[in-house]
Amino acid sequence: MIRKTMLATCVVGALALTTACTSAGSGGTGSGTSTLTYMTFETPSLNSTFWNDSIAAASKEAPGVKINRITSPSTDRDGYAKQLQASGQFPDLLQSITPSTFAGAGLLVPYDQTWVDANFLLPQGNALKGKVYIPPTNSQIIPEVFYNKELFAKAGVEPPKTWADFLTVCAKLKAAGITPMELGGGDPFAASMPLVGVLSADVLGKNPQWLQERYAGKVKFTDANVVTAVEKYRKLVTEGYFDKGALGVKYADSITQFTGGKAAMYMMGSWFLGSVPKDNADNFGAFPVPTDDGSVVIPFAVGGSMAISSKTKDLAGATKFAQAWSLAPGNLKALIESDGAFPMLKGKTLDDYKVTVSQVFKDSFAYVTDENTKVASIGWASNDDAMPPGLNDQLYAASQALFTSADVKGEMAKLDTAWDTATK
Amino acid sequence: MTAINDVLRSRARLVIAGVVTLLFVAPIYLTIVNAFKAQSQILESPEALPIPPTIDNLSTALARPDGLIQLGLQNSLIDVVFSVALLIPLASAFSFYISRRKTKARAAVLALLAAGLMIPPQVILLPTIQILTFFGLDHSYPGLILSNLGGGYLSFAVFVYVGFMRAVPNEIIEAARLDGASGLRIWWGIVMPLVRPATATVAIFSSLWIWNDFLNPLFILGPLQGQTITTGLYLTIGQYSVDYGQLFGIMFLAAIVPVVGYLFVQKQFIAGLTSGSSK
Amino acid sequence: MRTRKSRASRDNGLFGLAAVAFGLYLCFLVLPLLLSLKSSFTDENPLRATSGFVGLDNYGEMIHDDQLHASLGFTLILAVGVTIAANAIGIAFAMMLNRTNLSYRVMRTIAFLPQVLSGVIVGFVWQTILTQQGLLNVTLQRIGLIDSPIAWLGSPNLALLSIGVVVTWILTGFTTVVYLAALQGVPVELYDSAAIDGATTWQRFTRITFPLIAPGMTISVTISLITVLKLYDVITVLTGGGPANSTRSTALYIVKLAFTDNRFGYASAVAMLVLAMSAAIALSVTSLLRRREVNF
Repeated sequence: MIRKTMLATCVVGALALTTACTSAGSGGTGSGTSTLTYMTFETPSLNSTFWNDSIAAASKEAPGVKINRITSPSTDRDGYAKQLQASGQFPDLLQSITPSTFAGAGLLVPYDQTWVDANFLLPQGNALKGKVYIPPTNSQIIPEVFYNKELFAKAGVEPPKTWADFLTVCAKLKAAGITPMELGGGDPFAASMPLVGVLSADVLGKNPQWLQERYAGKVKFTDANVVTAVEKYRKLVTEGYFDKGALGVKYADSITQFTGGKAAMYMMGSWFLGSVPKDNADNFGAFPVPTDDGSVVIPFAVGGSMAISSKTKDLAGATKFAQAWSLAPGNLKALIESDGAFPMLKGKTLDDYKVTVSQVFKDSFAYVTDENTKVASIGWASNDDAMPPGLNDQLYAASQALFTSADVKGEMAKLDTAWDTATK
Repeated sequence: MTAINDVLRSRARLVIAGVVTLLFVAPIYLTIVNAFKAQSQILESPEALPIPPTIDNLSTALARPDGLIQLGLQNSLIDVVFSVALLIPLASAFSFYISRRKTKARAAVLALLAAGLMIPPQVILLPTIQILTFFGLDHSYPGLILSNLGGGYLSFAVFVYVGFMRAVPNEIIEAARLDGASGLRIWWGIVMPLVRPATATVAIFSSLWIWNDFLNPLFILGPLQGQTITTGLYLTIGQYSVDYGQLFGIMFLAAIVPVVGYLFVQKQFIAGLTSGSSK
Repeated sequence: MRTRKSRASRDNGLFGLAAVAFGLYLCFLVLPLLLSLKSSFTDENPLRATSGFVGLDNYGEMIHDDQLHASLGFTLILAVGVTIAANAIGIAFAMMLNRTNLSYRVMRTIAFLPQVLSGVIVGFVWQTILTQQGLLNVTLQRIGLIDSPIAWLGSPNLALLSIGVVVTWILTGFTTVVYLAALQGVPVELYDSAAIDGATTWQRFTRITFPLIAPGMTISVTISLITVLKLYDVITVLTGGGPANSTRSTALYIVKLAFTDNRFGYASAVAMLVLAMSAAIALSVTSLLRRREVNF
């Protein structure tokens, strides 16, 4: 009898508790406050301290909004956002996603255009069909080539302008016993940087409309000019200019390797500027991805803030928070200093943010402010030049595959197939 | 002469076995010793003993602002305790009920349950979430626990119980029936005490599997309800931990519960495995 | 008549509990399976407004899907390789540890430890060992065996090998215990009389040990195969399916299709294929090995 009572208590208790958990979990709103979920990601420079501080700063401007931060397990924000969407928990706010992936299904709301026009240098910098889903708070060059001045001096080489010069520099570095290029090939996005660089500089540099024409089906990845550009990346591999085991190197390790002087050059997004060691910053320089004729082409992307879900239960609060976050001077200061972001707020100079930046940051920023050919950074631009959903993954996979396979044409054919499937 | 040879031979055998076993568990050894070393000591000689030992890695791990270890252990505990506490009565009652049915019906039901042992979890993950959403239980502990109860663990538990319950002599049950005992009474008062080894096996293995489960908590529970220790490790450690000391410290703390639990119940653990495998 | 009725009503409580259990099973296993089967005939995609039945299109697409073929190839190679390795090592370990002294019992306890840890922990621990700057490369370089680090996880073939080693490591604890149990059923007298007859060690293994551990082999091989087919967490943590998707198992591919590409319909079709394969492998291996048991 006692046993029976115990069992009954146990089962009933368990059921009661589980129900209690549900009601506790599903409740929440009340007393005029709303709890919003905000998907972020973490990198060595944008660590959890940065996010917590920036959320705290923006929350002051948006009273009554409580932010529940969730972190994408990798830098692939789109992938994680889709995962959350598929499992029914699409966040209210999503940091640095590719809007085109989600806007088509009506999952995002655009920002008020007058607010965007009033506050940003390039209001349409990342507009999708004329609508802005992520405020263009800052810009990035993805990638540029960072180099170690000491190692360059040791091999007696200067920063190259043309691709031919670049190959000579690599050869001389290798002859001097220095690994010419660092590559964090263990993380797919980092593995793709050299390929993104040559494709943006060569293909988009000559035809800025290339991605639009790919959507229209007028050009293909298997076209001769694209294949030639990719062969350049392949040549860097076959000549042994990357470390043989580069595909086993994690992104974070590749940063410490390069800053520790283990390789002379590193193709990476301008966010690497935030990882340049402060005590030795003058030892590092940067130049744009070299082109055949030496002309300057800057692979460029604008964005840097968050998108707002159309399903959010407090659109006003979410918008208020997102706008405050996008404009908060403290956030931009942190982004400039730790993530190498180039600020794009109207009517402000670098000095206005009271930042201390390195010379290599200033040199890189000059490429943004100077008149030159700016093209969409392939795979990174989040405007109309964004690739169809899933194509980035395919591009990353191609970069990794071409590290061991010589079949450039075959990999490009896969990209074409994936593109056609994704846009069907 | 032969006696000495035998002694030598058995010594040699012991030494070889010891060396092989140690090599085999080298990764676990590395986790333990390096959890108590600083990064520089680890890179210098990963295999060395931690002299002098440091508890910095453990205290840093426990002081994390996100409460990875504490919250993770707490959430895992909720998940495991409720799932297993409900699984055992449900599975054993079901097993008792069908083990007394006609052979044909029993065989049909058991065949249906066998599917639960084979189905890879990713096959039913997505519709499970849709069903839970339908009941309003998506991304909640009740939802996760219900999906645990209805999934492969039930099949496993039923197979263990049915095997044991078939061995319970019919006379005992018939005698109780003649005394007017109800089905529930017979099940809980007479049968359950007789199949304690089965309960031990089910409790031990389902606890371990639910504790270590990855896919269900990752997708069914999701990031908002907090993470279990297993998914928490995956979601927070991510790709940017280059500090091995920290990593080993966290792994050490996360692994302590299942390992200590295993050491406590290892006799039943191995007995459960061997009785299961001889069927 | 009256007694029978009251007897049945006395079973109501038990029936209720059993019905709850069966209801949960129907609701969270059978129903999802049927829903999955249904979506495999649709082009369901939450990022698109409309979806509908597409007949056998998804199944047709599988024939031409190179990524699927690559993942199936990887999964099968891994499954077969790991099953052979884990069972061979398991038999060897079991024979080595088949003694009753305390030291051997302690070793047995230790040997089972990998089986207790979650795939996530195992993945992270092995990752620190196997990455480019990992403990293995550091150690090998320090003792001068290699000049430059080896890409254990960074080249397709080595990554396959590395994952195979890690999964074998996890499974060996299990196979060892199964074979130990089987060995303990072998009468020592059999070996003694064989020794008197002048049988070699190999003959003793093939004629006595092997036939007697064959029942253990059935369960051990089946579970090894099914474990690899289900494998998700270890690979996710260790390589994430890379480099260049060369270590993407079919389980990872399904999750990617469903949750990253949002192609629920096609993901379900692939899931059905995996289910059919698991069932076929489990059934055929069991019947094949069972036949062997009888023959011996």
